[in-house]
Amino acid sequence: MVLGELGASIKNALSKLQTSPVIDEEVLDMVLKEISAGLLRADVNIKIVKSIKDNIKKIVDFEELAAGTNKRKLIHQAVFKELCAMLGSGLNSYQPQRGRPNVIMFVGLQGSGKTTTCTKYAWHYARKGWRTCLICADTFRAGAFDQLKQNATKAKIPFYGSYTDTDPAKIAADGVNQFKAENYEIIIVDTSGRHMQQEALFEEMQQVNAAVDPDEVIFVMDSSIGQAVQSQAEAFKKAVDVGSVIVTKLDGHASGGGALSAVSSTRSPVIFIGTGEHMDDFEPFDVNRFVQRLLGMGDMTGLIDT
Amino acid sequence: TSWLRSHFGTARELDDEDFASVIPRLREKLITKNVAVEVADDVCKSVEKTMSSTKLGTFDSLQGAVEKSMIEALRRILRPKREINILREVAASKAKNRPYSIVLCGVNGVGKSTSLAKLTYWLQQSNYSVLIAAGDTFRGGAVEQLEVHGRCLNTPVFQMGYAVDPSAVAKGAIAQATKTNADVVIIDTAGRMQDHESRMRALAKLIHDNQPGLVLFVGEAIVGNNGIDQLRKFNQCLHDFTPMNCPTRGIDGLILTKFDTIDDKVGAAVSMVYELGQPIVFVGVGQTYQDLKVIEEDVVVSALMA
Ligand SMILES: Nc1nc2c(ncn2[C@@H]2O[C@H](COP(=O)(O)OP(=O)(O)OP(=O)(O)O)[C@@H](O)[C@H]2O)c(=O)[nH]1
Ligand SMILES: Nc1nc2c(ncn2[C@@H]2O[C@H](COP(=O)(O)OP(=O)(O)OP(=O)(O)O)[C@@H](O)[C@H]2O)c(=O)[nH]1
Ligand SMILES: [Mg+2]
Ligand SMILES: [Mg+2]
Repeated sequence: MVLGELGASIKNALSKLQTSPVIDEEVLDMVLKEISAGLLRADVNIKIVKSIKDNIKKIVDFEELAAGTNKRKLIHQAVFKELCAMLGSGLNSYQPQRGRPNVIMFVGLQGSGKTTTCTKYAWHYARKGWRTCLICADTFRAGAFDQLKQNATKAKIPFYGSYTDTDPAKIAADGVNQFKAENYEIIIVDTSGRHMQQEALFEEMQQVNAAVDPDEVIFVMDSSIGQAVQSQAEAFKKAVDVGSVIVTKLDGHASGGGALSAVSSTRSPVIFIGTGEHMDDFEPFDVNRFVQRLLGMGDMTGLIDT
Repeated sequence: TSWLRSHFGTARELDDEDFASVIPRLREKLITKNVAVEVADDVCKSVEKTMSSTKLGTFDSLQGAVEKSMIEALRRILRPKREINILREVAASKAKNRPYSIVLCGVNGVGKSTSLAKLTYWLQQSNYSVLIAAGDTFRGGAVEQLEVHGRCLNTPVFQMGYAVDPSAVAKGAIAQATKTNADVVIIDTAGRMQDHESRMRALAKLIHDNQPGLVLFVGEAIVGNNGIDQLRKFNQCLHDFTPMNCPTRGIDGLILTKFDTIDDKVGAAVSMVYELGQPIVFVGVGQTYQDLKVIEEDVVVSALMA
């Protein structure tokens, strides 16, 4: 299962609550230490790990607790709540609307899986009967248009791009206009990979953004990313209006905690996860259900106010 | 008192209390700099071990002494235990009228094909001719991507299209290079997840069938804790999936890409070398052909300790 290892280490830490005869500060510290270690091994940003730890300690304040409070339950709930908060529970994402064009722009670091994910996203909606199409606004990466073209052809999804044009903003705008005129509902714009240290490429991304005025910007993140995730995610959010996140390559052994926790820097929810190289290796993502599964809990929706 | 102890003591041996006052912060720093958790722990343990048998001089500060020992430990990890001199090996192979072959492998999207192009450019600077082998017969656009590089670099690309056995592509390429007197064959491979057994077997087959001069693992500097798992399993699979009666072989060295994306979070370099014990042959520092550099251990160590 996705993030199974993290789930196991958190569950294991929480099980200490069951075996300790009394629950005091010392036991809580031990549990929190183990949970923190699990989160760190899963690449969650070290600052976020610390704040999760502090928040839980604040919720479970032994001096303030009324006598008779069920401390085990309280700690469980606090952990659940913090994980949900880290993963952006309660944030809403853009919902495409039928019968009108929805322009969706994909952005992200080099090699994160944008082009692959564009097709998966198009395929996801096409299968449900939406009119979807793909535009390649990556004029930089060698073979980028061929890649998108081959993927789109396999999925039988119309595509637009150019081998000769070098201006991604122009290609994107032309493609969007054409597909709008043809009444497409989901118009997906794939862009080149870039990172925050490349100022010129960030400007280029803003130009594409201005040219197509997207309804939604999706930030695509590789699940194996480490501690640099926070600053990169923040920089993307600052440059364009990132509305949601897709985390890729979760079929590998990556814990994905860094990518998942970067949600707190983008204030954008994870809407899908990528679990393979094929078109249908793609799953919608629901934070609460995910954390429940992660912690092996029953239905906890009643326990938190989202 | 520990501050006093550490600043005004007489020459004395260090104890657990001393370590507890400085090591956790250094460990945290390493993790913040993207050193994998288990590697950071090992480094800290080894520092404690070395320090516990040394005496702290009267005028040494505890912090300074421990830092110094950590710098030494990090240098020791990064210092190559084995040298890989590609140019010398190419020359030796050429003297025997045999093309020297290099296989690049790694997980999806890390920069294998781009590094292949950079290596080609670098070899051309030394007047060696290169044949590029399009051994990724899986991912859409992979062949065209290399053909673009081939055109830009004015170097031939050997390809057999998609959905063919990559090992056969490598074999065909080596045969063609022998015929045309190309000095080096660089074989691209499809990205694959380290747990994907059938794909890992196919990689092992390619390597055992073709016995390349060099097998390089391409990883990203931005990778988190998953990096060492990738490396461990790639290396292990190459050994485990060796056909009977064949000498086993693993990964000879590393290319670590995307150094330009991580600022001072250079920890993956330490983690990966620590895991494999083989050198980082090159680092990738950008997306142009010139962006292939030799790693400077001291710069990495300074960034980690800053
Ligand atoms: N295993 C696995 N591979 C994936 C997944 N998503 C994408 N990939 C692979 O990751 C690699 C990079 O994907 P791309 O879609 O080319 O990434 P990109 O972000 O468009 O790359 P650039 O355009 O160069 O920035 C390819 O080999 C994809 O097949 C996934 O969920 N699982
Ligand atoms: N910034 C930066 N980008 C890089 C570097 N090396 C490669 N890239 C980019 O990373 C993306 C993926 O590179 P590829 O060479 O296609 O990666 P790959 O490992 O061959 O990918 P697959 O074949 O799909 O598994 C491209 O956009 C490259 O330009 C680097 O050192 N720095
Ligand atoms: Mg792409
Ligand atoms: Mg490739």
